[in-house]
Amino acid sequence: MSMLIKQMPARVESLHELLTFIRTEAKKREFSENALNRIDLVVEEALVNVFVHGYAQDQGQVEVRCLISDDPSLMIEIRDKGVSFDPLSLADPDVEADISKRKIGGMGVFFIRKMADKVAYRREGDSNVLTMTFLNR
Amino acid sequence: MEIAVTNESDIAVFTIKGRLDAVSVPQLEERLNQWFEQPGKKLIFDLDGLEYISSAGLRVFLTTAKKMKARDGKLCMARLRDNVKDVFTISGFIALIPAFDNLGAAQNAVR
Repeated sequence: MSMLIKQMPARVESLHELLTFIRTEAKKREFSENALNRIDLVVEEALVNVFVHGYAQDQGQVEVRCLISDDPSLMIEIRDKGVSFDPLSLADPDVEADISKRKIGGMGVFFIRKMADKVAYRREGDSNVLTMTFLNR
Repeated sequence: MEIAVTNESDIAVFTIKGRLDAVSVPQLEERLNQWFEQPGKKLIFDLDGLEYISSAGLRVFLTTAKKMKARDGKLCMARLRDNVKDVFTISGFIALIPAFDNLGAAQNAVR
C-alpha cells in the first residue's frame, strides 16, 4: 500500500486545491461522476470542520492522505493538530423539522455519515484523524 | 460561481451557476443581503447551472427561507440537477423550499 500526502494551511482558501488533489486520484481509479460528487461533498464537509473548529487561535495545518492499494475503494485521511474533536460524536440534525424549527448546524457531519461508505475518528497523539472510505458505485 | 439577478414584474430570479461551496457562499450572501434591503416578496432560485452544493450553500438557502417566511413572502427553486437534488433530499430541505422542473411552474407558484 502506498500513500499520497498533501499538507496545507487549515483555512478555506485551501479547499479547492485539496479537493482537486483527491479528485485527481479518484479519477485515476475511474470513479463514476456520482461517486466523485459524493467524495467532493464529504471531503469539503470534513475539511470545513477542521477550518472552523480545528484551531482555536493561530493558523494550523491540515493534512490530507490518500491511501492507495489494490482494493478498488478509495481511502482518505484528514489529519489536524487542533483541539481534540470527534465530529462523529455530534447528534444528527432533525431533518423533518419545519422551517421555523430547522437549525443551521450539524448538516455537514450528517452528510459525512450518510455519503461516505465508511467513516471513523481517532485521536492519535496530538492529532485528530478522520478516515473515510468510498466505494466506486 | 456566477450569480445573475433578473426581475420580471415583482418576481426576482437568482440564477446561480457553478459551485456553491464554503468558498463561494459569501458572494451569494452578499447579493441576497442587498436584495433583502428592499421589500420584495417573491423570489426564485434558478439552479439549472448549479453543479454542486454543500452544507455551506444549504445554510444560505435555509436563512433565506426563514427571512422570506418572516416577511410573508414566497420562495421556490427551479431546475435542480440530480446531484443537487440529492443533497436537498437527504437533508430534508426539499420539504422546506418548493422545487419545480421548469421556470414557468416556479413563476406560477410565487405569482
